[in-house]
Amino acid sequence: MKSLTYADVNEGDELPPLDVPITRTAIVAGAIASRDYQDVHHDAELAKARGSKDIFMNILTTNGWVGRFVTDWAGPSAILKKVAIRLGAPNYPDDTMLMTGRVKSKSDDGLIEVEIKGENSLGDHVVGTVSLVLPS
Amino acid sequence: MTANGSGLAGKAAIVGIGATEFSKDSGRTELRLATEAVKMALDDAGLAPSDVDGMVTFTMDSNDEIEIARSVGIGDLTYFSRIHHGGGAACGTVHSAAMAVATGAAEVVVTYRALNGRSWSRFGAGVQRRQPIPNADGVHYGWLVPFGLLTPAQWVAMFARRYMHAYGATSADFGTVAVADRRHAANNPNAWFYEQPITLEDHQASRWIVEPLHLLDCCQESDGAVAQIVTTVERARDLKQPPVVIAAAAQGAGRDQESMTSYYRDDMTGLPEMGVVARQLWAQSGLKTDDIRTAVLYDHFTPFVLAQLEEFGFCGRGEAKDFIAGGAIEVGGRLPVNTNGGQLGEAYVHGMNGISEGVRQVRGTSVNQVEGDGAVLVTAGTGVPTSGLILTSDN
Amino acid sequence: MSDDGGALLEKLRGLVGKPAGAPFRAWDEVNQPMIRHWCDAVGDTNPIYTDPSAAAASVHGQVVAPPTMLQAWTMRGLVPPPSEGGGAQAELMGLLDAAGFTSVVATNCEQEYERYLHLGDDLTAEQVIEDVSPEKKTGLGVGHFVTTRTEFRDQNGELVATMRFRILKFRPPEKTEPKAPRPVPPRNQDNAFFWEGVDRGELLIQRCSACGQLRHPPRPMCPNCQALEWDTVQSSGKGEVFSFIIPHYPQVPFFDYPYVVAVIALEEGTRLISNVIDIDPHAVEVGMPVEVKFVKVHDELTLPLFAPVSA
Repeated sequence: MKSLTYADVNEGDELPPLDVPITRTAIVAGAIASRDYQDVHHDAELAKARGSKDIFMNILTTNGWVGRFVTDWAGPSAILKKVAIRLGAPNYPDDTMLMTGRVKSKSDDGLIEVEIKGENSLGDHVVGTVSLVLPS
Repeated sequence: MTANGSGLAGKAAIVGIGATEFSKDSGRTELRLATEAVKMALDDAGLAPSDVDGMVTFTMDSNDEIEIARSVGIGDLTYFSRIHHGGGAACGTVHSAAMAVATGAAEVVVTYRALNGRSWSRFGAGVQRRQPIPNADGVHYGWLVPFGLLTPAQWVAMFARRYMHAYGATSADFGTVAVADRRHAANNPNAWFYEQPITLEDHQASRWIVEPLHLLDCCQESDGAVAQIVTTVERARDLKQPPVVIAAAAQGAGRDQESMTSYYRDDMTGLPEMGVVARQLWAQSGLKTDDIRTAVLYDHFTPFVLAQLEEFGFCGRGEAKDFIAGGAIEVGGRLPVNTNGGQLGEAYVHGMNGISEGVRQVRGTSVNQVEGDGAVLVTAGTGVPTSGLILTSDN
Repeated sequence: MSDDGGALLEKLRGLVGKPAGAPFRAWDEVNQPMIRHWCDAVGDTNPIYTDPSAAAASVHGQVVAPPTMLQAWTMRGLVPPPSEGGGAQAELMGLLDAAGFTSVVATNCEQEYERYLHLGDDLTAEQVIEDVSPEKKTGLGVGHFVTTRTEFRDQNGELVATMRFRILKFRPPEKTEPKAPRPVPPRNQDNAFFWEGVDRGELLIQRCSACGQLRHPPRPMCPNCQALEWDTVQSSGKGEVFSFIIPHYPQVPFFDYPYVVAVIALEEGTRLISNVIDIDPHAVEVGMPVEVKFVKVHDELTLPLFAPVSA
């Protein structure tokens, strides 16, 4: 895996988009890996009883996808400093989340801010900002 | 038509009437309401349950004759029957009872109807939940329901629009009926709308249920039960109450009849089935319109009161709006109608409460007693195969 | 907001600034198996998380946990600690549950990392209730946003990360009945031809084969001559409004109100019940010329409806 350096990155750079298939397995695997046993993330009947149309991805898993999306681009030498996300349309099974990102700013102290978005068939599942530093 | 049932004239009498209170929530079962009304009617007649040997009700009633017989302590039954077609059955129950006593099939027959027409169901909701089954009934509603023609009010409104178009009648003409009913109800402590008269302005300002019918063109949905006791005139003379003689009783269904939606006849402005009833009642009783002191005309919706006046010949076709004007159908007018308040003012017990009001008028005990000793006309459900009675005193 | 809502908010806000509960020490030290589950779940192949030699050669010098995995280390899991109970968080959730805000969804997460976590790190999380919003209407339903702030410290008491986490505790909306389809009329041997014609876009009228009289609705026998044989003629679909009504009440789920039901007199002489469409209901008049339009009202039902004849 190749790592980007601070010099490689410019404001406005687009991150390579990532299609994330939202399968039931993906939702449940993420929930269990994050030790989140809330029924809405694995039991469709109970999720429906709570007013949801199906099970949906938990926020911890979304966080994981955001981290992976950014480091896939930045490489193993990147150090994440801050991840701030806001959730919108749920990630239900049988959907695809298209993740896109763009370098928002690059400050002299080495901090790079990337705006990210994950969009599914219902709209924006996640929007957020990831701050990271890259080797010089 | 040659039959007129003249063999029935003067053979039977109504000797007892009973009714529960009329409400929007009786708080008890339809069976209990029925038993209470039947017992009250027997008490009114001075008869015991063991005297009863016949029972007649509506096919729509949820209380089997035998259920009531068991509850009230009525013994052996030699005659029991049911009459179809909703409110059209009302006078038909008395007609059937009268035939039974006239032929000796039974001697004392109870007629009854009990319904929680408001609290157990909304009677006016119509057929929106009817399941489509490919029998004749299901096919019939299959011509209506997909187009949203679902409720009794809607079925009648279709006639009312055509009647207005044909004769120039207006919503205010229909309102005249409502005002009369509610004036009479205002004097009737048993009426739901006791002491609540309305004005024509109230009628016109009430919300649309289905154009061209306002809320105040529509009868109530009620909880309650009514019963009568029918026996021979001979036996009636020995009982507690003065006999109310059934001078005539008849049923009628018209050519090309449907239940509530006879829209395929040449005309859509009359009630030919009530014409069938009217001709029999006049022929049986030998009476004519001038002999009628007061009438209880079935009033689930106001427009058909006008059409009934025309079918019975109180006025010409399309002239009812002029006939009813100026208080003519209120107490003091030329033909007071629905002196109990009718089904708009007193209660909707499928026309059975109207029969009891006819009995009170003959006895002289109505809260809106009409002067004189002339005959009383009572009709049953309109727009359906129906029935009627002419009641007189035993003179 | 109701007075009750105001009183509730006051109680909820009374909990702001309080510890959500006792500090929670992670069940397990930061460990390779949990990291591997995580990386598998999100398809993360970054070697610094799972490959000791690659990690040793990296800026970290050893295997590290994915930073976004932070919260997973201090999740209670399927079986919460037996001693846990009470605390402002439990009280807050109880108040909201009792007020009918029974559903929960996470809406925001903000994590700041002081350092990456190493295998063997032993974390403790301390959570404080930071804010409770007034009642808000959201796409999910009415609810309150609850924001907490959590500090993660290592075995030496050093701050390694902070997290601000926001959830929406909401009242699931009442289940709304889907708009019911118009009922499909039953078909039998007497009337099927009519609906089959409609399905093909033909308005058929039953005709007595013996005397030629037209009749609608269909019947098995001719009322004029009692013949059982019949065929059909296709209507021009032109006619006029013979009578009509505009229903308002009671309302059924398969119509938009107001609408028009009419008796249509076809030019062939028979009548049928239908709807008049493509016109303001109050502009309909008796005698108005109309013509048929076949409208597929849902997958299983096409109806012959009538629209004003265009000028």
